[in-house]
Amino acid sequence: MPFKFVHAADLHLDTPFRGVAAQGPLPGRFQESTFRALTRIVDLCLRERVAFLLLAGDLFDVKDRSVRARLALRSELARLHSAGIQSFIVHGNHDPLSGDTGTLGLPASVKVFGPDWEEAEVVREGRRLCRVQGVSYPDVEVRDDLSARFRRTGEGFSVGLLHANLGGAEGHANYAPCTSAGLGSRGLDYWALGHVHTRAEHLLPGGGVAVYPGNPQGRHANEAGERGCVLVEVEDGGMRRRFVPVDGVRWHKLELPLSGLGTLDGLLDTAVEAVESRCSAELDGHAVRLTLTGRGPLHRELARPGALAQVETDLRERLAQGHPPVLLESLRDSTRPELDLEAVRASGGFARTLLEEARFLVESPAELARLWEQEALGSLGQRLKRLGVDALEAPRPEWVVGAGRHGVESLHEEEAS
Amino acid sequence: MKPGLRIDSLRVLGFGRFSGMTRELGPGLHLLYGPNEAGKSTLLAFLRSMLFGFEKNGHPERYEPKSGGPFGGELRLTTDVGPLLVRRVAAGRRAKGELSVLGPDGQFLPPERLEDALGHVSRELFFDVFAFRLDELAGFERLTEQRGASEALVAASMRGARRLPEVVARLQKSADELYKPNGTKPMLNETLKKLEEVQSRLREVGDRPARYFAERERLATLGEEQRGLDAELLSVGREVERLARLEAALGDLVALAEVRAELESLPALEHFPEGGEARLEDALLRNRNQRAEGARLEQRLATVRAGLERLSTPSRVRGREEALRLALAAYQERSGLMRALPARRAAVAEKRRQVERELKELGLPVDGPGLLALDLSAGVRATLEELATRLGAVETECREASGNRSRLRAERERLDGEVAGAEAELARLPETLPGQVRQQQAGLARMRGVRAELEKLGEQRAELRRQFESARTQSEPPPVEVVVPVWWVPAVAAVVVVFSVVAWLLAGTQVAVLCGVGGLLLTGVLEMARRRVETARASALEAHAARQRGRQQEEERLRSVLVGLAAREEVLHRELLASAQEAGMTPVATPADMASKEAALAEALEQAGRRESLVREREKQGAEQGRAQREERRAEEVLREVEQRQAELARTLAGHLAARSFPVTLPASAALALWRDAAALKQRLLDVGTEEAALSVDEQTCAPVAMRLWEEAVAAGLASEPVATVPSPSTLETVAARVSAALETAREQDVEHRALEQNHRELLAEKARLDGLCHAEETAIATLLAEGGATDEESFRRRAAQAHRYAELSHRARELSQRLEARTGLSESQAREALRETGGEQGLHSALEFQRARHTEAQQRQKEVLTDRGALKQLLEQWENDGELSRLRIEEESLKARAAELATRYAADRLALALLSRARRRFEEEQQPRVVQLASEHFDALTGGRYRRVIIPNAEERELRVSDGEQDWSAASLSRGTREQLYLAFRLAVVRDFAETRGALPLIVDDVLVNFDPERARGAIRLFARLATQQQVIAFTCHPWLRELFEAEGARVQELDSSTSKPQQASLTVLQAG
Repeated sequence: MPFKFVHAADLHLDTPFRGVAAQGPLPGRFQESTFRALTRIVDLCLRERVAFLLLAGDLFDVKDRSVRARLALRSELARLHSAGIQSFIVHGNHDPLSGDTGTLGLPASVKVFGPDWEEAEVVREGRRLCRVQGVSYPDVEVRDDLSARFRRTGEGFSVGLLHANLGGAEGHANYAPCTSAGLGSRGLDYWALGHVHTRAEHLLPGGGVAVYPGNPQGRHANEAGERGCVLVEVEDGGMRRRFVPVDGVRWHKLELPLSGLGTLDGLLDTAVEAVESRCSAELDGHAVRLTLTGRGPLHRELARPGALAQVETDLRERLAQGHPPVLLESLRDSTRPELDLEAVRASGGFARTLLEEARFLVESPAELARLWEQEALGSLGQRLKRLGVDALEAPRPEWVVGAGRHGVESLHEEEAS
Repeated sequence: MKPGLRIDSLRVLGFGRFSGMTRELGPGLHLLYGPNEAGKSTLLAFLRSMLFGFEKNGHPERYEPKSGGPFGGELRLTTDVGPLLVRRVAAGRRAKGELSVLGPDGQFLPPERLEDALGHVSRELFFDVFAFRLDELAGFERLTEQRGASEALVAASMRGARRLPEVVARLQKSADELYKPNGTKPMLNETLKKLEEVQSRLREVGDRPARYFAERERLATLGEEQRGLDAELLSVGREVERLARLEAALGDLVALAEVRAELESLPALEHFPEGGEARLEDALLRNRNQRAEGARLEQRLATVRAGLERLSTPSRVRGREEALRLALAAYQERSGLMRALPARRAAVAEKRRQVERELKELGLPVDGPGLLALDLSAGVRATLEELATRLGAVETECREASGNRSRLRAERERLDGEVAGAEAELARLPETLPGQVRQQQAGLARMRGVRAELEKLGEQRAELRRQFESARTQSEPPPVEVVVPVWWVPAVAAVVVVFSVVAWLLAGTQVAVLCGVGGLLLTGVLEMARRRVETARASALEAHAARQRGRQQEEERLRSVLVGLAAREEVLHRELLASAQEAGMTPVATPADMASKEAALAEALEQAGRRESLVREREKQGAEQGRAQREERRAEEVLREVEQRQAELARTLAGHLAARSFPVTLPASAALALWRDAAALKQRLLDVGTEEAALSVDEQTCAPVAMRLWEEAVAAGLASEPVATVPSPSTLETVAARVSAALETAREQDVEHRALEQNHRELLAEKARLDGLCHAEETAIATLLAEGGATDEESFRRRAAQAHRYAELSHRARELSQRLEARTGLSESQAREALRETGGEQGLHSALEFQRARHTEAQQRQKEVLTDRGALKQLLEQWENDGELSRLRIEEESLKARAAELATRYAADRLALALLSRARRRFEEEQQPRVVQLASEHFDALTGGRYRRVIIPNAEERELRVSDGEQDWSAASLSRGTREQLYLAFRLAVVRDFAETRGALPLIVDDVLVNFDPERARGAIRLFARLATQQQVIAFTCHPWLRELFEAEGARVQELDSSTSKPQQASLTVLQAG
């Protein structure tokens, strides 16, 4: 009997956008986008008359402590319940069972998996459509391979619902680590995974597939592009998967070459044009990180104290007034003066010593770490980490390269002035 | 040592107090010696300005001449690329002045050549290290004090990091603005503080979802409790209410018992008529009133009867009212007509008379009836109008035709006159054709042209002949040149041989050989001169022969031209003859004859032209004359035709007029007017006849009406006697008024009678009703007395008082009983029972108090629960809908992002600072030892071996120290002189290092040795002298002892005395580079 289901993960309901240093009305408005993404997922379920919905962990962040998130989840799942659609939930590292799971008062058709492996069946008209197995995180840190507890229990389509890091994906905490081979050996047809926010599919040995649908709403500049969930259609043992975008606010990382621009006003106009050309009008809004690149006569003007901040403020105001509104996350200046570093190095003198010193530090991590501590940047990094700010955790070689370049440029500018 | 730059001479055009001053310098050590104010510092500034530009306007070292004049000067330099002349003069708005760099040949070179020669040394470095004063030596000291010697050194000598201290300071400032580990103001510190605050607020908010669900549970519990409290409150409230009602009804119960006791004491009066006494009194009063009303009715009946009797007397009018009314109505209907009849009759007669009078005035030969018989219909008028219109049109045509004919006749007569005038003029003009005259004129013109051409030809021939003659006479003799004959050469050779032999004989072989060789050389020279002369002569002869050939060719050409001219003259003579014949003149005619002939021909041509135009005009006029005659004849015909039509129309009109008895001679328009008048009169006559007929009809209808009225008036006694004819209208009016008055009186009497009768009937009916009422009232009184159980009125009143009290008590008992029931919901007996059950009045009070206390307590608790629930609900709603938490989270994320950004910037600044510091140390380690080594050497030499070394420890303080090999001291601890020696040693080290690496530049020092003791000053000058072997050193001083020391070291001394400081006129001579 053919059936459909929707697989979503990492809703992070009511979680604010990250990395937006600006105050203003837009971040507050865009805060609603996680709720709207959930609503669209539920709309999709109703429209496609799916048999069930899978939510693979991180429905919300415990640290957000949002009542609204819990209530929204409850009301949206109640809509599915009214339509006779089942929901299956596992909890992840952001919403472990040890914290408040917010699952009190959920409709009867919602199955929330506990800390031990469980299996549930989806039955229609007296026939079993599918088996769904799942495990929730009992606590934030789960270092065991939870997938090892899964197993095929019988005939028919079997789904594993899990919040896990498959293959040690970078940029994500290595919780419930697992491998393709391990998943494949479990014999399930479909692994509905969560945790990694970038959409991905892994074909498993043995014919199964492990799918990360990604988070349905991007929340920072590294979550750019379309975001949504996966609609799976199962028929005669085969399946078709279709990604369906549900994000209301889309993130973009754009670069704007400085060449050919002579004035700050021109820069502003070009930036607005570039951003608007990339932002689709169908969405509720967009969030953009704009990086100025290349060499050009404007570099010196932008290097004046406060100039870049002023351009950023002006651009942010203009973009926020557009339709749909665009939130400028940040305007970054990666432009370079019209200075040939190789020529500077070749000409010798202090600049060459400076650049060589930078190279030496890059090549000597221990020396760099010593310098890092000597400049008290390590203690500042720890203080920031205590406050939850991910910056200055460890010295990065590219910062040293940048600092060397910055020094040469400063000296050069002085020479030129 | 790299070649650099040397100043060979300077020339001041105008700078400060100098003007037109020149100084020669050159390699080695120079001392410019002069007293105070001799201009040493000015010269130092001059040299700096020449090389690097004038100071800005207003700067004390700009030295712009106050007296005006040229501002600037020149330097002659020797550089590695050759000599240069550097000229800098003030120009325009450029503060630095106009720089010119000239090469050895005075050609302009690009200014970069000077920069190249200066080794691209910066202005600041040059001023600090290469050309400085004593106070600037201290400036170096300040630099070391503030920034550390190392940085100063780096700043002084390091290429590409001249402003390292500023960059470091800027980075440090930027980093300090971003973050300070223990600060509060920097941006990152502030951001972190805010972040901590936000996170603290978030902690205060707590784990909302957990609390939310706990609070929801509590809300549910409170709901349950509230429902229990509601039920308890309800039951207790009911009990309290019941008891309170019972308590409130206690008084009523007592009063009810009293009422019932009094009722028992009264007889049974339940059936006593209600309101019996009042009813009795009312009945008695009504009976008395009815009797009085009956007496008043009797009186009114008597009055009515008397009136009826008065109206029943007899009258003549009575019984005839209808006939009189009809007659009067008929009369009144026509009375207006009757009154108008005489006036209408007179008016009709007057109209008839008037019409007849106007008819006579019209002059028609008919009377009234005749007029009526005439046919004056609209058809006749239309015929007349048509005739008049046609007659008018014909007359207009007749006038137009007549006018046309006279105009054409005048035109024809004018043309006749013009034709006659043209004929007369033609007869006066000669019969010559213009073509003949023009031919003569052309002949004359050609004759004139040919004669002019003949004259020109004559002149040409004369000219050619003259040329021919001159060419012939120009033949020149061949050039004669004296040439040394060939034989002269062997002759001279022989003479030489002879002289040689003679010389051999006289002076020996040597002289003979010399003479021989000299003679042979002279012979050779002679032979060469001869050959050159021969060659020149041959070329002259060739040129002469060529000129002769050219001249002969020219003669031949002139001759052939002359023959051509003769032939041309012949042709022209023949043409002259032909043209003279054509012009009718002789070929030899004088120009005066030709002029007169030309005038005559012009006049003849004009007359011929005039004649020709006259002939054409006459032909045209003849044609116009014929056309005018034809048109005149046609106009006459038209006129005749119109006149015929006019006569015919006049006849037709006369016929019409005679048929209507109108005068036959009357014109059409007058006839039309007469017709209109006659027709109007006829109409009026007809109207008068109609009016007369209507008048007689009216008179016939009025007469019977008048007669009938009169007869009826006589019958009613209102007129005196009967009459046979119709009486006058006034009489009739009087009778009619009388009849009308009598009729009115009779009608009024009738009305009054009827009213009285009606009144009488009504009074009788009223009297009967009153009698009935009296009887019924008396019966009712008797019945009432019987009902009240009384025999008379008095006893009835006594029983009525008792019955009233009985009713009051009964009502009171009922009222109390009802109030009791209303208050308690119980009947009297139930209430008494309930009271008894609660233990009487006392028991009731205590029970009520107890229940009330319970009720208050429950209410209090309910209020608390409600408040709690409300607050809880509000809190939960707030959590559900309030954005404070998300706002705080957004703020937290925003602050985190801000903190990350600031921290990254801070880290970048700190890293850049650290990198610069490390690079500087490394650079010092790699680059500086040479400078330090040189400085040590110099300092050793300057202090006579007192201090061996200069040290820059690698400590953070970067302090400059000196050492004698065993002990070291900080620079600050040295005496002033020694400190200045240290800084001088550093400068000399940098100067030498610069010379070795980039180029040797001159060292210029202005009295920097004054704080040195003589020995150390000598050491310093010795160092200068040693340096001067490699590069130029220029020193200034005003101290004689220093001058001596310089002189002792071989310095070239030049004096600057007061005479040089006086302004001089600038010389126009210019230094030449090289």
